[in-house]
Amino acid sequence: MDVDFALIGHQESWRAAADLLAVLRGPERTRLPDDEIRDILPWIPPRAVCHVEIGSIFDTQIGDTTIGNTKTGGAKARGLYIDSFIPPDRLEAAYVHENIARVRAAAACAIKAGAKIVSLGGFSSILIEGNFDQLPERHATVFTTGNTLTVGFIVRGIKKMCTLEGRNLRSSTLLIVGATGDVGSGCARCLAPLVKRVLLCARNLDRLRKLAAELEAHGVQVEVATDREQFSAEADLVICAASLASPSLLLGRIAADAIVCDAGYPKNLSPSAQMPGAKIFFGGLGQITGGLSFAPDFHGILNRHPFPDVVHGCLLEGMALALDGRFEPFSQGRGFITPERVAEIEAIAARHGIYLAPLYNADGPVQDAIVCETEWSLAENPHPSEAWVGHP
Amino acid sequence: METLVGLNCSTVECTSPNAPIWQDILAQAVTGELMAAMNYASLSEICDNPAEVADALEHAQIERGHAARFAAEGRKIGVDVPNNVDAKHWKRLREAFLGCITERDFIGCLIVQEIMLESFAVASYARVGKVAPGSLGTTFASIAAEEEEHVDHAMAILRAERALDPQRFDDKVYRLHLDVMTTLAKMLAKECKDGHCEVCHASCVKPALFDVRLSAAELRGASLQQYLKTLDMLGIPGELTLAWVAQLPV
Repeated sequence: MDVDFALIGHQESWRAAADLLAVLRGPERTRLPDDEIRDILPWIPPRAVCHVEIGSIFDTQIGDTTIGNTKTGGAKARGLYIDSFIPPDRLEAAYVHENIARVRAAAACAIKAGAKIVSLGGFSSILIEGNFDQLPERHATVFTTGNTLTVGFIVRGIKKMCTLEGRNLRSSTLLIVGATGDVGSGCARCLAPLVKRVLLCARNLDRLRKLAAELEAHGVQVEVATDREQFSAEADLVICAASLASPSLLLGRIAADAIVCDAGYPKNLSPSAQMPGAKIFFGGLGQITGGLSFAPDFHGILNRHPFPDVVHGCLLEGMALALDGRFEPFSQGRGFITPERVAEIEAIAARHGIYLAPLYNADGPVQDAIVCETEWSLAENPHPSEAWVGHP
Repeated sequence: METLVGLNCSTVECTSPNAPIWQDILAQAVTGELMAAMNYASLSEICDNPAEVADALEHAQIERGHAARFAAEGRKIGVDVPNNVDAKHWKRLREAFLGCITERDFIGCLIVQEIMLESFAVASYARVGKVAPGSLGTTFASIAAEEEEHVDHAMAILRAERALDPQRFDDKVYRLHLDVMTTLAKMLAKECKDGHCEVCHASCVKPALFDVRLSAAELRGASLQQYLKTLDMLGIPGELTLAWVAQLPV
């Protein structure tokens, strides 16, 4: 079987891991007890878990061949989901070397399978974005972090929330937490020219200053700080491009009714009693409208979202490029995401029916699905919304 | 328990508070090595090629040598190391191997012995080798390395066999997996749910493994990991073998 793309990911909660193993065990066997899962999962070597097939809303011409989709008439691409089996409780810095080794082993699986393009999902891309030289010898396989499309969906999500909430982007103060990372800096470049003021927060002051200088050269008003308390202004738009240890770290440092995009991984911001007025949504997610299937069927397990066929932007980037027949390392390294590159990958994605997903947070949808940008109707979708099993 | 080969063990007073734990660990290892020796001896009877016969007999001798080295380590810490290849789980594993012998299935024999049982041995011995004191640890580590070396020889034969008909080969591995790995999974479970294993000298050693910086969960995890990696090296699709392992009893 041709493997057009491979997706490298891992389970972000023990519940997700338990559900995955339950599918593999089959309905005739009892679910593994939680303690057994915690004992077994760390020992599983990275490997393919299932086959993935996606459809485009358009035909694609690759060389002399037109690839069509029986469902939509558009192109199809086939791939593999490869799990690095990073244990959900080992995402901290203490495990970085072990986790890079797991991502490398997962990458080796993708190469062995002959994948033409590999998307590094969530934490995998964070581990590898500055360390591409640590990936195995790649032969004909190319790798992308998928961060450019993630940035595209974060930016679109912010714009959409502003529209839904009747906010004026131009008069907003934007705070980016994790501003010097690949995603954070990409968001800064895309949104800074559209807002009144930008507050950049990260741990590395040198990198912050460098990014600020880049933005200021375009006439943007920028403040930088390694501590959010040092900013002179309150933000009413917030992008958390790095996971916060606790949402309470934002308390008292942002406007009470701020729009907050949780773009970190894993996503851990939720509407809370402490920030009742904040409008929180999960950013960086897109939706495939040309069809998405797994074999075995992991719907609602591998994509645990309240809307069907929603996938993280980082994974969708590789899928979109595969549908387009563009097997190239679109996003690599750190700090190269520009508005032009974002527009380019969004155009490729949209050509194949991949759009911003309806917005939601840990409590569920934050908008009526019917008004979503894709005009995607749940009634027309073959996969029921009961696939929603809650966000971890 | 019966001593199948003369290991010339002498009873000496235990010199370490953990000696009874090492005694049970060594008893499992000696039993496994003796069973491997018996398996290779049986294998020699169905080999057509004289070189294969000699190879199988040589392997049988090597495994007997491993058993003797483990028994000697027991004597050093002052314990007699019993063995029991008729203990319920080991007996079932032997029967699975003999099933392949009856069918004169050389490839099936290699799959059971080299892929399944040796994965278990290599991983377990390597873990024990890391924590066992002195020469006991060195012996476990060096036997783990030797076992791994002769797995390489079988891998070449099995890879060539799989290349002829991958589907048929994978089906055969799965059929043997259901029998052999289900038994091994029960042996490796964190608790022995089917009663006494008939190898430990008193009560089950598993709860006491923490006293020597081991755990049943760790030995099981390392063994299943080694098994999956070995199947990967054979070229069996990872998504297939993941489901096989996920379906094992715990």
